[in-house]
Amino acid sequence: MNKFIFTAICAALFTGAACYLSLPAFAGSCCGGGGGAALVLPKMYQSMVDVSFDAEKYEGFWSPQGVYTYAPVGYQYRLNAGYGLRLAQNWQASISVPYVWNDNQYSNGSTHSSGIGDTTMNLWYEALEDRSAWKIRSMRDLTPSVTIGPSILIPTGISPYDNKTSSYDITGRGFYRFDANVLIAKTIHPWTASVSLAYGTYLQRPVDREYGKYVEPYEKKLGDRSSAAVSLGYIYYVDSAGDTLTGTVSLSTLREENATINGKRQPESGFQKDAYGGTIAYSSTDSDWIIRISWNSAVRRSGWGNNFPATEIYTVGVSYGFR
Amino acid sequence: MGSGKMRAFLLIVVLFAGCGNMNDLNPSGSDKRPPEQPGTVGPAVGQNAPNFTLFDTLGNNFTLSSVIPSNQGVVLYFAMEWCPICEGHLDNLRTSVIPAFPNVRFYVVDYTCASVAEALSWEVAAGYTGSGFIVLADTQQSVLNLYQATMGTTVVMDKNGVVRMNEDYKDGTRLQAILANLP
Repeated sequence: MNKFIFTAICAALFTGAACYLSLPAFAGSCCGGGGGAALVLPKMYQSMVDVSFDAEKYEGFWSPQGVYTYAPVGYQYRLNAGYGLRLAQNWQASISVPYVWNDNQYSNGSTHSSGIGDTTMNLWYEALEDRSAWKIRSMRDLTPSVTIGPSILIPTGISPYDNKTSSYDITGRGFYRFDANVLIAKTIHPWTASVSLAYGTYLQRPVDREYGKYVEPYEKKLGDRSSAAVSLGYIYYVDSAGDTLTGTVSLSTLREENATINGKRQPESGFQKDAYGGTIAYSSTDSDWIIRISWNSAVRRSGWGNNFPATEIYTVGVSYGFR
Repeated sequence: MGSGKMRAFLLIVVLFAGCGNMNDLNPSGSDKRPPEQPGTVGPAVGQNAPNFTLFDTLGNNFTLSSVIPSNQGVVLYFAMEWCPICEGHLDNLRTSVIPAFPNVRFYVVDYTCASVAEALSWEVAAGYTGSGFIVLADTQQSVLNLYQATMGTTVVMDKNGVVRMNEDYKDGTRLQAILANLP
C-alpha cells in the first residue's frame, strides 16, 4: 500500500467511521460518541501516529419508519488519537481512541460533558499489494491492494449502563464488538479508488443498572451490524517534486439489526444510515506528514436512514509516519 | 512477527483494557436494587411519588396528586423533543400499551421545551395530538430532577400514589407487565 492508497482508504474509512458512531446516539448527547476510524499503514512505514478532530453537527433524525425530520442543532466534538504499528512485512495493528465532548443545546438550557469514547483496535493482514501503475502493461498492474483483518470495539466510553444519570453524558455504547473487515484499493495514476466492507457482532452482556439506577438484571445484546463504503479519488501533482493533493468522494451505508433483551428481539432498536462525503489530503514526497480535511453528511431525506440522527461531520486530521 | 513489537502492542492493549469504565461492563448480574422504603417520599420503587404541578400543552394546570386517586394508575414518560428513540417508544406506547389499559392515564413530560407553546408545537408537529397521552411542559426540568429521570425514563404510580416502576422504557414489555399487575 502506498501513500495514494492510504489517502483513498482514509476517505473510505473516515466516511465509514462517521457511521460507526454510537446509537444511544444522541441519547442526549447529539451524536453518541463512538469509536474512531481504523488506521492502516502505508507499506513504507513501520509505525504511524494519526490525530484528528471531528465536529459533528446534529441536524435532525430519521424516525423508525425512515421519515426524516429536521430538528434543532446540537454538536459533538471528538479528538481521535490513533497509532499503527507494523508487526511484520504484511501484518500491522492499530488502535484508535476518541475523546468526546458533548455540547447539547435545547431551548430551555444546555449541557456540556466530556469523556473518553469507545476504543477501536485492528489487526490487519496485507493479502495483496497494489503497484499503483501509471499505465496498464500487464494483468499484474490491475491487482488491487487487499487488506483484511479483525477489529474489536472496546467499550471504554461512558454508556447508559454506567453510573452517569443523564443521557446527555453518553460517549459510548457499553458493548464489546468484533468486526471482520476487508479493504480493497486500487490506484492507476492519477485515479484511485477503494471499497471497505465490515460485518460486526456485539457480545451479549448483563445489565443491572440504567443511567445510574439499579434495575432488575437482564441480558442485552445489540444487533449485528454491516457497513460498506466506496471512494473514488483523483491525485493532483502540485509540483515536480511529487507533492500531491488527493481529492476523494465517498459513499457509505451502515445497518444495525434490532437488539435483544433476554433473547427477545427489541422492535425498532436497529437503525440505518446512508452518508456521503469528501476528503482532500496533502502529502509530500520528502516528508512523512499527511494532512487532510474531510466532510461527511447524512443524506437528509426520507428513506436514507431510519431510527438514527442525521449529522454532518467536519474533520481535520494529520498523520505522521515513521520509516 | 517481531516479538518485541508484539509485546509492545499487547502492552498497549492491556493498558487500555484496564482503564475507563471497564468495571461497569462486568456487573455481577445479581439484583442490586435497594430495598423498598414504603412510607417515604421519593422517586424509587416502593416510595410515595413526589407531587408536582405542570402546565399541559393546552395551558391547563396538571397536579399529580389530583389525578392519582381517580385512576388505576398513572404513567409518566420523559421525552426530549426531536428524538428518534423517544419517537419509537411513543409509537409503541400509542399502539400497544394505551389501548390495553383504559383505566390508566398516560403523560409525556417534555423536558427540553422552553415554553408551553413550544411543547404544543412539538406535539402537533410530531403528530401526537389526540394520541391518548397528554403532553406536559417541564420547562424548568424540575420534574425531570424530582424523578431522577432522563430520556426514555418511564414512571408508573398506582392508585395509592406508590411508585411501581422507574426505569428505561426499552420495548414496553416491562411497563405492560407492571400495569397488568396494578391493584
